Amino acid sequence: MDEKQRTEYLEQYTDKTHRIGRFASLATLVLLLGAPFLIGAVFGAMPDLPAAGRAFLSVGIVWTVSSVAEFLVYTPMLGSGGGYLAFITGNLINLKIPCAMNARDIAGTRTGTAENEIVSTLSIAASSLVTIVVLALGVLLLAPLQPVLRSETLAPAFANVVPALFGAMGYQYYRRNLRLALVPLLMMSLLFLFVPSLASQTSILILPAGAVTIGLGYLGFRRST
Amino acid sequence: MTALCAKFYHKKGRMYIKEEFSMQEQLNSPVLYLICGAIILFVAAICVIFLFRAWRAGLAIGMEPGRLRRAVTSSAAFTVLPSVGILLGVIALSGSLGTPWPWLRLSVIGALHYETQVAQAAAEQVGIGGLSAQGMTPRAFATIALLMSGCIMWGMVLSLFFNRRYTEKLGTKEENAKKGKKGFADTAMTAMFIGLISCYLGSYIGGAATGSGIVPLAVCAASAAAMALFTALSKHRRLSWLESFSVAGSMLIGMLAAVVLA
Repeated sequence: MDEKQRTEYLEQYTDKTHRIGRFASLATLVLLLGAPFLIGAVFGAMPDLPAAGRAFLSVGIVWTVSSVAEFLVYTPMLGSGGGYLAFITGNLINLKIPCAMNARDIAGTRTGTAENEIVSTLSIAASSLVTIVVLALGVLLLAPLQPVLRSETLAPAFANVVPALFGAMGYQYYRRNLRLALVPLLMMSLLFLFVPSLASQTSILILPAGAVTIGLGYLGFRRST
Repeated sequence: MTALCAKFYHKKGRMYIKEEFSMQEQLNSPVLYLICGAIILFVAAICVIFLFRAWRAGLAIGMEPGRLRRAVTSSAAFTVLPSVGILLGVIALSGSLGTPWPWLRLSVIGALHYETQVAQAAAEQVGIGGLSAQGMTPRAFATIALLMSGCIMWGMVLSLFFNRRYTEKLGTKEENAKKGKKGFADTAMTAMFIGLISCYLGSYIGGAATGSGIVPLAVCAASAAAMALFTALSKHRRLSWLESFSVAGSMLIGMLAAVVLA
């Protein structure tokens, strides 16, 4: 495949990715919003829309703002195909983002390239399928698995999946970018030390921590170019 | 089949679940499994389509099959343990919402930290006080289910309308990457991820210092030490296969440390 053919092929691939991604997002949206009404029809009791509206005002607004920020921050990390899939399948911070970054590192691809777009899509698709299979098996074997999953001995292990994930990923990223990582780590440690109640808002604080680190990264980038 | 039919009746051409069945029985009824399972199957099919298209495109532009295989196997291995954690979320929610709905929510679009909070807020607003099997009614369940779907859909909505424009605008020019010029996008993505990790590590350090518990920080340290070992081992030619499983293996060691320390 020569350069011209490659460019044409990638243009076609990207174009079709957007078409499939848009259709998949729209269809999933309709299915997910339609399901409560379908279930309501089966139960003979439709959703209480005024109560849903009040509940949306109490918690939904926060999640709406958070979703907008997630879209702006994570789409460039995931690329187009990975972006569509990740927002359909969810669990971004605790699974899909670290998974795609890990695959990118292992495959040695660079942000913005076609190779990165492909690796990111493969990673999110494989990760989503594994989650679907694990959950389906878990639901199928719910009764025999209950003693293991609810065992008091194993409870601390399952309660610490996220620290285990960020310990491993932290080593990889801090090792290669120690100077860049020191300031945000120190800043966030001091913040949680002096305002411990913020621990329940960790997912929201990712944005300012990320913004500061990007700012520092930009200064380093300007100096090196 | 007789047992299945016995749970339903028809009225004016519509199928209803018999009222004498308890709410938990209704929430775990075959119809709910069918509705939720069908949606999950649809999303799984989308994932398969994206996977095959990306694989084919990778081969077409000259990427080595081994590189593509490593991306898939490392992602699959990476996902197993967090998925077991997500399964625990399904189990936790199944006590009040039945099994099929949390199964759908956490397989598609949902997030572990989000579901309980939104379900709880919806339960309060529909007047059942909180998430519990005792107070649950069909109307309360349908309302909670709607809110759980509605609050977190915005990422998908934005993706639907703006993914194309946004990725085209932000992407580093491929010619630059091919010429070896490293764009700022690469640095920015690494920086954003370091910010994300720092946020969590900072919360564990702060938690340990303020007496909230040292286990998360110790788990982090154990997992990082295991990762260092895996990284060193995978540099040897005969052990390079370890790289795909290094994060999953490190996580397992970190989680074992939590069992030992607790």
